Amino acid sequence: MSQNMQPPSVKSLLSNGAKKRTSSHALPTWLLHISLLLISFCLLLPFYWVLKTSFTGENIFIYPPSLIPQDPHPFFYIDTWYYIPFARYLFNSVVVSVLAIVANVVFNAMAAYALTKHFKGKSLVITLLLSCLMIPFQTTIVPAYLITGKIGLLNSYLGVALPTFSTIVCIFIYKASFDAIPTSLIEAARIDGLSELQVILKIMIPLSSSAVASNVILSFIWSWNNFLWPLIVIRDPLMQTLPLGLSRFLSYHENTTGALYAFCTMVLVPGIIIFLMAQKEFIRGLTSGATKG
Amino acid sequence: MSGLTSIGPNISPSTRRKPSAASPGSKARRELILVWCFLFPSLAVFFLYRILPLIWNLVLSVQKFSIFGQSEWIGFAHYWALLDDEVFWMALKNTLLFIASAPCGIVIALMISLMVNTEIRGRNIYRTIVFLSYPLMTVAVGIIWRWMYDEKVGLFNFILRTIGLIDTPLAFLQSFELALPAVLLANLWQILGFYMIILLAGLQNIPQNLYEASAIDGASRTVQFFRITLPLLRPSLFLAFVVGIMTSFTSFDLVYVMTQGGPSHSTELLVTYIYKAAFELSRIDYAATLTVVQFVLLVTLTWLGNRLSGGEAGAGRN
Repeated sequence: MSQNMQPPSVKSLLSNGAKKRTSSHALPTWLLHISLLLISFCLLLPFYWVLKTSFTGENIFIYPPSLIPQDPHPFFYIDTWYYIPFARYLFNSVVVSVLAIVANVVFNAMAAYALTKHFKGKSLVITLLLSCLMIPFQTTIVPAYLITGKIGLLNSYLGVALPTFSTIVCIFIYKASFDAIPTSLIEAARIDGLSELQVILKIMIPLSSSAVASNVILSFIWSWNNFLWPLIVIRDPLMQTLPLGLSRFLSYHENTTGALYAFCTMVLVPGIIIFLMAQKEFIRGLTSGATKG
Repeated sequence: MSGLTSIGPNISPSTRRKPSAASPGSKARRELILVWCFLFPSLAVFFLYRILPLIWNLVLSVQKFSIFGQSEWIGFAHYWALLDDEVFWMALKNTLLFIASAPCGIVIALMISLMVNTEIRGRNIYRTIVFLSYPLMTVAVGIIWRWMYDEKVGLFNFILRTIGLIDTPLAFLQSFELALPAVLLANLWQILGFYMIILLAGLQNIPQNLYEASAIDGASRTVQFFRITLPLLRPSLFLAFVVGIMTSFTSFDLVYVMTQGGPSHSTELLVTYIYKAAFELSRIDYAATLTVVQFVLLVTLTWLGNRLSGGEAGAGRN
């Protein structure tokens, strides 16, 4: 993402112009820094406010609210851990996410591999996939609920994960990556006697590791954050995923603010950590999905 | 190199098989079978959860649905009922307002992306900070913002009272006028980073030599912005707008957590109304009708956005 599109050689050729450009910003650098710091401050403020509350709670009878945390303590976190089946919610979320990730990687790669071949009806399949992109999941919830009921998957992990088992955007990410692999390499492997499956597992997938990484992080974030579908499918409180647990907690214990925000933080932190670790892959997947899709 | 050992034994059978598999017909057939087997799982998922629901929505919308008995055909009665449904019009209006708010976000995102597209030190950190809120769980984001808007101890009331803009605290999310703008602001906070990423990708695709050539011709920064940056960024801008349209049709989580569509439907969106109709009021058929209307609207608007952008723009999310 952060790479400049300009190849370095061209850049060095035009070093005069490039230098001129850096020295003639529309804004002086210090002003740029100040505005960006201000923007960052505004954007980070909500995080701070919640984090603060999760360590101090809030006495709603005191005005003004204190900006700096006063005697912070971890008890809200401990409370949360014991009051609600946090571990259970976490487990449910992890199971659903893992199901979605594994299915995504396998199915999308398979479909993308098929699309690298030439066969009758290929353009039809691609058109179909592109038009399915235009159908947001939110517009399918009513029949999707009836369908899931008919298959008998209501209230099950599989029922929650099944609609996310394959992602069109990721199929195209794989396809772009597979198409970039030189055919000579694949033919050489065939001559060496590798079967179709071995070609995929030993050549295509290892050479497309960035596509796999994008797919893993995208499907993780999507299924980790998914709320509407689990809300519809899950009835049993013990089957609830983290977002459902959070929303349930909100509706039952509106006033126990400290614990609610501790819960909130505990839910957000794993997502943030994983996002920060795989930021590049996530953004690459997102942009290629947004532009190529 | 270690792979060679496993390849070795395979050579003989494949060469032996060669004469029998030489006929191009059987090889092509084998490949065709493989192709469709590989496509099958994905296509099955999309059929089951995209295409079938689309058709079923249409069918449900002209039926009187009952879970146990036989559903009967009632024509367009649901659609006529829709016209008299005040909540539907409210939800439609709010959804359109949601879309109308997207350009504001895109303009802010454009300013930020211009700032972080320079060679300023720490630009990657700034980018991460702006983008950080996008991949967050929207349910948690809704809870965070409820807290920010809180009447007694919310940050907004505190700031506004400190500046002296208001005397008495405002109950943002309980107010008929303020609830929707409050939700829109929270949504902007979350989606801003995504707009920025789209625009940044667009900015980096603009060839630098255009700027250099125009600088030699004596073009000022402002002229460059309006004559080079904006025209070449048009596809990205419209793509961001299409994402904004999509978001307004899909942001169920935020509204559900922050206001539940209230007070008195002032923040109801089509998507929240569909959910309520189907799963709280058990009017499956009516919800399907709403979905059909929503889908037609969505496709029309996205198509328009696509046409205007003159390029390929698709959905950002799955």
